[in-house]
Amino acid sequence: MNRWVALVALAVVALAAGIAVGPAAIDPATVLRALAGIGDHTTIAIVRDLRVPRALLAFLVGGSLAVTGAVLQALVRNPLADPYLLGLSGGAGLGAVSAIALGIGGAWGVPLAAAIGALAAIALVYRLAVVADAVLDTRVLLLAGVVVGSFAAALVGAILVLSPSEGLRSALLWLLGGFDGASWSALAIFAAYAVLPLALLYRESRMLDLLSLGEEPARFLGADVEPLKRRLYLAASLLTAAAVAVSGIIGFVGLVVPHAIRVLWGSRHGALLPAAFLLGGALLAAADAVARTAFAPLSLPVGVVTAIVGVPVFAVLVRRWAT
Amino acid sequence: MRVPVSRSTELSRLLAGVAGLVLAACRAAPPPADAAGAATRVVSLSPAFTELLFAIGAGDRVVGRTQWGDTPPAALAVPSVGDGLAPNVEAVLARNPDLVVFYASGANAAARERLETLHVPTLTLPMDRLDDVPEAARRLGRATGTFARADSLATAFARAVDSARAAIPAGSRPRALILAWEEPPIVIGGGSFQNELLTLAGAENVFGDLLQPSGQVTLETIAARDPDVVILLDAAGMPAWAERPEWQVVRAVRERRFVPVTGSVFARPTLRALDAVRVLERRLAGSER
Repeated sequence: MNRWVALVALAVVALAAGIAVGPAAIDPATVLRALAGIGDHTTIAIVRDLRVPRALLAFLVGGSLAVTGAVLQALVRNPLADPYLLGLSGGAGLGAVSAIALGIGGAWGVPLAAAIGALAAIALVYRLAVVADAVLDTRVLLLAGVVVGSFAAALVGAILVLSPSEGLRSALLWLLGGFDGASWSALAIFAAYAVLPLALLYRESRMLDLLSLGEEPARFLGADVEPLKRRLYLAASLLTAAAVAVSGIIGFVGLVVPHAIRVLWGSRHGALLPAAFLLGGALLAAADAVARTAFAPLSLPVGVVTAIVGVPVFAVLVRRWAT
Repeated sequence: MRVPVSRSTELSRLLAGVAGLVLAACRAAPPPADAAGAATRVVSLSPAFTELLFAIGAGDRVVGRTQWGDTPPAALAVPSVGDGLAPNVEAVLARNPDLVVFYASGANAAARERLETLHVPTLTLPMDRLDDVPEAARRLGRATGTFARADSLATAFARAVDSARAAIPAGSRPRALILAWEEPPIVIGGGSFQNELLTLAGAENVFGDLLQPSGQVTLETIAARDPDVVILLDAAGMPAWAERPEWQVVRAVRERRFVPVTGSVFARPTLRALDAVRVLERRLAGSER
């Protein structure tokens, strides 16, 4: 029980930090007043319309990525699985770069194109991995994900060289991931969208325990393995595609947070999934606060911070776990 | 213009530069190109040099340009050798040049080294600031036998820039943000040619304190620095992202105070830079109601 209290406290502290700190030096008392709507217009707007939705979105995306990583690691039974492994990052990149190269603008042009690219990659990988008798072969799924991702990355490379658009290099920066597009509407759309896949994945946590034993044992223990695998794969992938649309591609969280929870907490999914959600959310909200503030006025891509802070911690955890 | 580049590109350029320096140290230095006098087959690996060569009367000696070298219109008749940064050496050689002019960048070190081992004379010039323009004009003039004309243009340009600097009005100046990209927000910093144009136009860059030519910042920083106008590079009309909710936090976006600037004069230092300053001045005055 103590561990849950600690984890929730960590999540609250990370969210509070995301709202309290930023490149515009606003002292905590002024932040509180601005939250209540007292103060000058710009300060209120910075706190209420930039920091709060940004911290909440970072938290939700971090949590979703961590849950997706945990599910995919169980589904393909591979500790290296992360939310973008199955061709998603390549598909999203191809979508974003194509939109800019073709001059498809609009306020939401790039994120929508990235989500469409990710969905196309999901569909293609899924189609490749469904073998005879509608069996989803998870080994083929893994390979199909890698080759579809490589293929999309190759097309991105060709477009970057051949297109005259100068904005393309900046499209690559967008793909490095971040929450510069965060707003209340982006937060509302993502939250509304994420609830369903998150609930579905949590509902399957018992089945995920069975599945991590292997498909054969899971079948003997009463799991309806084929529809289960399809549901898990589609829910996880659709959740990741939505994360890509609001934040680009943020590595490391989905790979490492599930492992960290397993080391500290054990691998029963009923606890693993909610714990991974809280830790992933806290990590990304805190990392985003650091990314915005550490070198202000310049800002770092948030994925750079998650990796610089997270990798040493993770290395220590793995060593402790191995001995 | 220095466009914002990804970190991996910067890194590979840096590595290429280091590799080039190491190689250069191992070999004897070739003769400096501008000592010789009259190159007749020049490949110009930057649009700014191409424009300058035509301006100093050496246009008929240019046998190769980059794919971006579209000024003056006569330059379009010259065959393109592709990209000017890390150029395709074979495409450059195919023009059979007796002088190849490089933009000073680590990305070009390897190509320059390769050409020098093949005894093709090269000239490497910086072209990042207004003050680089007269020097580049004189050195290109010396190399192509058009020094007299180049020198008089260079002197006139330097004098015009000096008097423009002296004429910057004191007192309150409009504060401008120069935005190169919106997500993530990439702004033009103090270490840029565009910053010089803005200063000469009597305005102040709200990110003039950035030493880099450009940098990634957050919306919050932009909102806190509260620019009066947003200058958009290579944008025509109202940008679509200005409708996005998070951008409404920035007053100049909320009030739709945009100054779009297009064309090569805003992208790179040239002899026409002061025309760009005048255009910018007029548009800045127009955006203040």
